[in-house]
Amino acid sequence: MVGQLMNWQIALPEIVLAGCGLLVLMVGVLIKKQNSAQLCSMLVLASFLVAALLSLSAPQDVGYNGLFTLDRFAVFVKILVLIAASLAVVLSLDYNTHHGIARFEFPVLILLSTVGMMVMVSATNMMSLYLGVELSSLAIYVLAAFARNDVRSSEAGLKYFVLGALASGLLLYGMSLVYGFAGSLDFASLRAVFTTETAQLGAVVGVVFIVAGLAFKISAAPFHMWTPDVYEGAPVPVTGFMATAPKVAALAVFVRILSMPFGHLLPQWQQLIVLLSIVSMVWGSLAAIGQWNIKRLMAYSSIGHMGYALVGVATGTEAGVRGVLVYLASYIFASAGVFACIIAMRKKGHAVERIADLKGLGKTDPMLAFLLMFFMFSLAGVPPFAGFIGKLYVFLAAVQAGMWTLAIIGVLTSVISTFYYLWVLKQVYFDQSEGAFDGRAPSVSFVAGLGGLVTLSFFVFASPVVNAAEAAARALFG
Amino acid sequence: MQPWLVNYFPILVFMAIAVVIAGAMLGGSLLAGWQKPYAEKLSAYECGFEAFDDARRRFDVRFYLVAILFIIFDLEVAFLFPWAISLGHIGMFGFWSMMGFLGVLTIGFIYEWCKGALDWE
Amino acid sequence: MIYAVAVFAPLLGSVIAGFLGRVIGDRASQIVTVSLMVLAAICGDVSFASVAWGNAHTGVVPVFDWISVGDLHIAWALRFDTLSVVMVAMVTTISTLIHLYSVGYMSHDSSIPRFFSYLSFFTFAMLMLVTANNLAQLFFGWEGVGVASYLLIGFWYQKPSACAAAIKAFVVNRVGDLFFAVGIALMFFLFKSIEFDNVFGNIQAHMNATYHIFGQDFRSYEVIGTLLFLGAMGKSAQIFLHTWLPDAMEGPTPVSALIHAATMVTAGVFLMSRMSPLMEFAPHALQLVTFIGATTALFAATIGCVQNDIKRIIAYSTCSQLGYMFLAAGVGAYQASMFHLITHAFFKALLFLGAGSVIHAMSDEQDIRKMGGLFKKIPFTGTVMWIGSLALAGIPFFAGYYSKDAILEAAYAAHTGLGTYGFVCGVVAAFLTAFYSWRLLILTFHGTPRADKHTMDHVHESPFVMTFPLGVLATGAVLVGLLFHTMFIGDARDAFWGAAIFNGPTNHIMATLEDRSMIIGLLPTLVGVAGIFLAYVMYVLVPGMPRALATTFRPIYLFLLNKWYFDELYNAIFVKPAFAIGRFLWKTGDATIVDGVPNGLASLTSYGSSRLVKLQTGSLATYAFTMLIGLVALISIFLWVR
Repeated sequence: MVGQLMNWQIALPEIVLAGCGLLVLMVGVLIKKQNSAQLCSMLVLASFLVAALLSLSAPQDVGYNGLFTLDRFAVFVKILVLIAASLAVVLSLDYNTHHGIARFEFPVLILLSTVGMMVMVSATNMMSLYLGVELSSLAIYVLAAFARNDVRSSEAGLKYFVLGALASGLLLYGMSLVYGFAGSLDFASLRAVFTTETAQLGAVVGVVFIVAGLAFKISAAPFHMWTPDVYEGAPVPVTGFMATAPKVAALAVFVRILSMPFGHLLPQWQQLIVLLSIVSMVWGSLAAIGQWNIKRLMAYSSIGHMGYALVGVATGTEAGVRGVLVYLASYIFASAGVFACIIAMRKKGHAVERIADLKGLGKTDPMLAFLLMFFMFSLAGVPPFAGFIGKLYVFLAAVQAGMWTLAIIGVLTSVISTFYYLWVLKQVYFDQSEGAFDGRAPSVSFVAGLGGLVTLSFFVFASPVVNAAEAAARALFG
Repeated sequence: MQPWLVNYFPILVFMAIAVVIAGAMLGGSLLAGWQKPYAEKLSAYECGFEAFDDARRRFDVRFYLVAILFIIFDLEVAFLFPWAISLGHIGMFGFWSMMGFLGVLTIGFIYEWCKGALDWE
Repeated sequence: MIYAVAVFAPLLGSVIAGFLGRVIGDRASQIVTVSLMVLAAICGDVSFASVAWGNAHTGVVPVFDWISVGDLHIAWALRFDTLSVVMVAMVTTISTLIHLYSVGYMSHDSSIPRFFSYLSFFTFAMLMLVTANNLAQLFFGWEGVGVASYLLIGFWYQKPSACAAAIKAFVVNRVGDLFFAVGIALMFFLFKSIEFDNVFGNIQAHMNATYHIFGQDFRSYEVIGTLLFLGAMGKSAQIFLHTWLPDAMEGPTPVSALIHAATMVTAGVFLMSRMSPLMEFAPHALQLVTFIGATTALFAATIGCVQNDIKRIIAYSTCSQLGYMFLAAGVGAYQASMFHLITHAFFKALLFLGAGSVIHAMSDEQDIRKMGGLFKKIPFTGTVMWIGSLALAGIPFFAGYYSKDAILEAAYAAHTGLGTYGFVCGVVAAFLTAFYSWRLLILTFHGTPRADKHTMDHVHESPFVMTFPLGVLATGAVLVGLLFHTMFIGDARDAFWGAAIFNGPTNHIMATLEDRSMIIGLLPTLVGVAGIFLAYVMYVLVPGMPRALATTFRPIYLFLLNKWYFDELYNAIFVKPAFAIGRFLWKTGDATIVDGVPNGLASLTSYGSSRLVKLQTGSLATYAFTMLIGLVALISIFLWVR
């Protein structure tokens, strides 16, 4: 047992980050000052930076008796998760102060959730996977209900908690089925046991349960019902966080679990993922059309985007995984940018969230309108913005794998979804203003500007990202 | 008597003693106690609730808070028992693992103390 | 490396002026863009000098990797060879002068930072184009200059005519770009790379590759060469795709000088020279180039003779001169073609800026019939316009003389049917060129003033910031030919061009340029002088003659005045049918089919959307139930598929 422990450093980023979280909690609770929230946010951002550096430099190996693995795939995803979490913390600086929920627990909860996600993406055992999933989820349940004087926020938290518990149960039940039939929880042993010929029905039903449980986390249809309500009710920085970091982590788990332990069962699970992907893409694009609240619109948008990402997962090839990773990298910036814009939607001190409130933004705040246009174009997949490159790689992988139907449905639904993204822009640029927004906080402008910059210039820097994603994908398959 | 049942004989003894002691206590108080019953006294005591009532009632959230805090430390103790028994086999690593666990719990404890979760008012 | 500075300094200037222009103000935007352009010009010229006289090693300056999908690997890189360096030096120099000129010319405009940002962005895109090391980057620059041109033609977007011209330029260019893009794609499929070195290195390997189209086999190189040329035709405004260039004169005059005379429109010519290793093995495509080039040279010159708008005359002149360059490329004299490109850049930019100075002086009057007698009022502008016209007409020892002579001699020396056709067209066009140039000069600067007194009183010489670039360009128009002709087309040409331009094994045209009879060598000059003389006769000695001619040969006059009816023709062939189809689709298709089926589809979509939205009841139990239904569905589908 001690021999395997020699490489405990592979979990150093998580250990350090968790330690920092405890420390920040103590700092926050002991100094008892009004501005402790700001201080703690800064400390958390610093810990994220440290964790990112450690992730990049920690030795890559398997450790903890096979419970935990650090490979290039895990590192790539962890960096994305840390970026997304940092953006959420920055977004919260202004929003929380303004809404009277500037408490130091907020950044700490985000940090703890992030630790959970980092454990998730590194887990190579069902048990550590479940631990990571639960740690990340529990923190988010609390975050969703963080504005506890707001009825909608409490409702969001409760709904997310109950449904999340149900999904967690499905996940656990699936794991126990798999364990019952295979006699192991370790990914490597499972891979050896699960070959197409020998897999029993019960075990494969267990796989379906696990897929369903994870599909809830990425809000793939038909496990997405919570998304619009929770997105609408939760505080905006939390929504921004939920739309990015957990999605990235859960998709990474999807990819790892389907390619490593259940890699030989490709013919069995492929149909499932294809189905999830199609339903999500169609549902996400159709249901978004009728929305008038921009947060609900983003909820359906994220459902659709998870559908696109699942296209890459469905291929079950290295190119597909590369596509998913590039897609996620492009997605988080545009998504965080949109939520920054939503935070900026504030008239006479009151937050507004109707799409109609954006009318005439092109005249009243041309810079914000311009950035919003970048994000919408990127989400719609208009070249040369980041989203286009992500979609390109995903659909390319689908075509290479001969999954034409999936690629065609994907393109058709992106056309439908372009409609509502453009509809937002139509309001921004061609409608009469109904009053300008209040001035933006620098933190919000920072996130929007950064998102816009990355979204716009992604095609220039695509090559390093794609290469890193390719190396990450190779770590799973090679 | 089958030989494996012999192993459970001490438990039987234990149960018998328990029954005897409990019986003695109840019987003793029944015999020696001064009794003046009335309705309030006869109802069961349940943390300020009516014992037999509709479950869908509002109750003070502080009960909930206390219950949660109790469960955390209750589970901590449940975790300590197997650790204490196997301490000899798991060595320093096992020892420090538990110290880490307790440290995390302590931080949680400090947090809730400072936040005033332990004060009733 | 200074070469990279030359390319990226304009980008920096553009970004600063574009994004911070409102913050830092007009003056600062001008200072930033102009000083960065000066820096770029210095770097560009030093690079040129190091190649021309310093024997610098040519090569590739890598910037970074860009795209990597399958076989397709594209890196940003700056190609450093004679062809690129010549273009970089020319573009940065001319662009700097025009930036400077614009400081004066645009001083009364309300959005100065935007103008300078666009101008610098254009320069950057053009530099990207000429320094490209692969076709993707070249295409990036190609589209970039197109966008910049669109933005600058429509710079005064309040004017409907400017917007229309901008859109027309963009659309006509897209036609060419489409062919160009197809050409690039075919090259990629053929060579598995669009990196120049890989393509040119493997030319021999695919010599006999063919495409089977319409039941016939075509050699791949012919097809690709033709497609590339069709792309070049759009950008360089050759006949059939030329209609946008005259309309583009709606843009500010410095823009016309920079984009629509000196740089962007010559991109097609540059492309031909850049692709010379491939074009040399596509003889039929080259014949097409010769034919189109020669025809354009003549065709545009005839129109130039009857136009009355000072800028449009010069625009048609540009069109005609571009025809000359293609003519040279078509007969294999790429060196002569490039040489004319450079000299033309100087004297045509000079003519445009001079015209701008005139317009400035005349309070925005552009009709030469309403000018006259300006020389005494604005002698400096008049002098430089004279110099520019002398260079354009190919009068000995001015810049145009060397390059135009070389082109005509090359056409003659080709000794082919098309070569002779090109020679004849070229000589006639040279005559017409001289004629319309002096028509312009005489009507503008000499004779009696025809403008009203109020306007004439306001006529004044432009400020120094405008006359200085004119002076520099005038010096260039006089000296560039004299200084560089040995290097570009003379004995030193092989050493100078190195491997940048490729002449096929049987192509000795550059060597035979001097072997021609005396009369052929003198002919261009003679017809030039004759053209000047004719203009003198018609507009000074016998002033009634033009009117008499116009009435006698009214059909011909109208034909020319209406630019051979190309716009009307295109209107009838493309625009009207397109509108008709559009109206048909709108009335019939939209009203019945779109309002029927897709509107039904759309309403089905929105109906489906509203149904889906209704599922979102907000009830927790429904949600959990949906999840479980989904799970059951998944499992049953899974069992069923299995």
